[in-house]
Amino acid sequence: METPEKLSFQRLSVASPSTPQSSSSTRLWRPAAQRNLRNQWSKLAACRQRWASASSNGRSQATSLINAYLSQIYMPAMKLGVLSDFPDIKEKALRKFFKQQELQRRKLLITYKDLVTIVLDMIDISRSMRCYSKGATGSPLAQFSNCSDSTADAGDGGGIPVFRNWNIPQFELLADELIQMFKMELDIKRRLVVELLSISSENSPVANAVTWSSELYPGESEDLSRCILDSTVTNQIPKSNLQCSINKTTKVDGEAVSKAMEVYLTVWLSEVNLDTDRLDEIFNLTGLEIQVNLK
Amino acid sequence: MEAMLKKFQQKYNKVKDNMSQWEDLQTRFVSHFRNASSIIHRFPVLQDSNNFGCLKSYHALPDKLLRKQMDSLQTIIMSMKLTLDEFSNVVGSLDKIVRDSRQLIKGASHQQLHQTIGVKPSLTYCIEGLQTLHDMHQSEYRLKSSLFTAFCHLTFKPNSDDLGALQQLLVDQPNIYKEEVDSIYNIVFPEDH
Repeated sequence: METPEKLSFQRLSVASPSTPQSSSSTRLWRPAAQRNLRNQWSKLAACRQRWASASSNGRSQATSLINAYLSQIYMPAMKLGVLSDFPDIKEKALRKFFKQQELQRRKLLITYKDLVTIVLDMIDISRSMRCYSKGATGSPLAQFSNCSDSTADAGDGGGIPVFRNWNIPQFELLADELIQMFKMELDIKRRLVVELLSISSENSPVANAVTWSSELYPGESEDLSRCILDSTVTNQIPKSNLQCSINKTTKVDGEAVSKAMEVYLTVWLSEVNLDTDRLDEIFNLTGLEIQVNLK
Repeated sequence: MEAMLKKFQQKYNKVKDNMSQWEDLQTRFVSHFRNASSIIHRFPVLQDSNNFGCLKSYHALPDKLLRKQMDSLQTIIMSMKLTLDEFSNVVGSLDKIVRDSRQLIKGASHQQLHQTIGVKPSLTYCIEGLQTLHDMHQSEYRLKSSLFTAFCHLTFKPNSDDLGALQQLLVDQPNIYKEEVDSIYNIVFPEDH
């Protein structure tokens, strides 16, 4: 996982010592801030692509996992014709499907972790939009960085427009808006992953079934506390999925299960929390403002 | 005569381009149709919130999901409409080729029109062939238009049998006879054989 590099820019100062809002320091601050914003927004656009491809991987893994699971449910009742003469054919087939399900569980988990990483990257990026002056005022070498040295400098150039119209907080606002969508979507994806990881057939219970409160991978709680869990979303996470999970009903009803699975896959695919039009708009508008194509 | 035939062969090559464009449109149209059908099929399952398991009470997810699927369906239907317009453009372009060709033979004598040299077709045959190709595609376009209208009605009260039948018609393209098309081309381009 990459962390946003600490950017620093150097400009040769020709101006005499001045206050941060003076025209000369503004003249130095602006190009540095512009470079930084272009850089951060390009990374945000890349994150969107990474999300799309991870999400699509996850979808095919979820589909295979579900198919392997449903095959296990249907196998005992299946009429195999001449094949039934083979000794233990059903048991063998069941074992095979079970192994497939295990394999897809592992893959899905990795994909889920990728999705978390992407959202974390986005959050880091959105927090790196400001550009702070570094070093002593009045030094002939004006330096800038995106981590703050002093509380006096807000890193926003005194609120002036960075390119044409928008100031730093406006860029941050848009970034937050889009990240909020991804956080919400990550939350849904996590629910789906928990559900998909915990489905198991009666014959071969999954070794270590997960619940809402389980950590899906080591260090997940810490990651989540940085993205999902700091929002209002968390309040709704149920303590346990025992009472509502479909696979915990006394008897596995093949039809009900396959309907639920269809719904899960549709939920995964639809990404209801990502408003595609709005996302396009945010990237288009920002792209126009910073004169970079963010497609 | 020879020169005139060459000109007709060029027209047939143009028609061929149009037909391959038609094929691309057909592929696109069918895939839109399939996607739209699967969304429509899914609606009843999505409308029953009992199928949502643990996600049932999550932030009005069933509603959101249904709305998002509706949006996708609408987008697909819009694309189908656009594709249909492109089909119509192909028919228009075939029509123009036929009209231009008729212009070509204006003033030709009866004998010139019906004369055949060796295996080469008569000019009349060339014109009629172009007209046939145009007519097939025009009928097929009309069929697709009606199928599309029928499909739009079905989205509100889906019936999987009807959807299946529509799809079959759409894929089959009953107005375009592949063999007839091939045989026209074989006659107009005898030297290719």
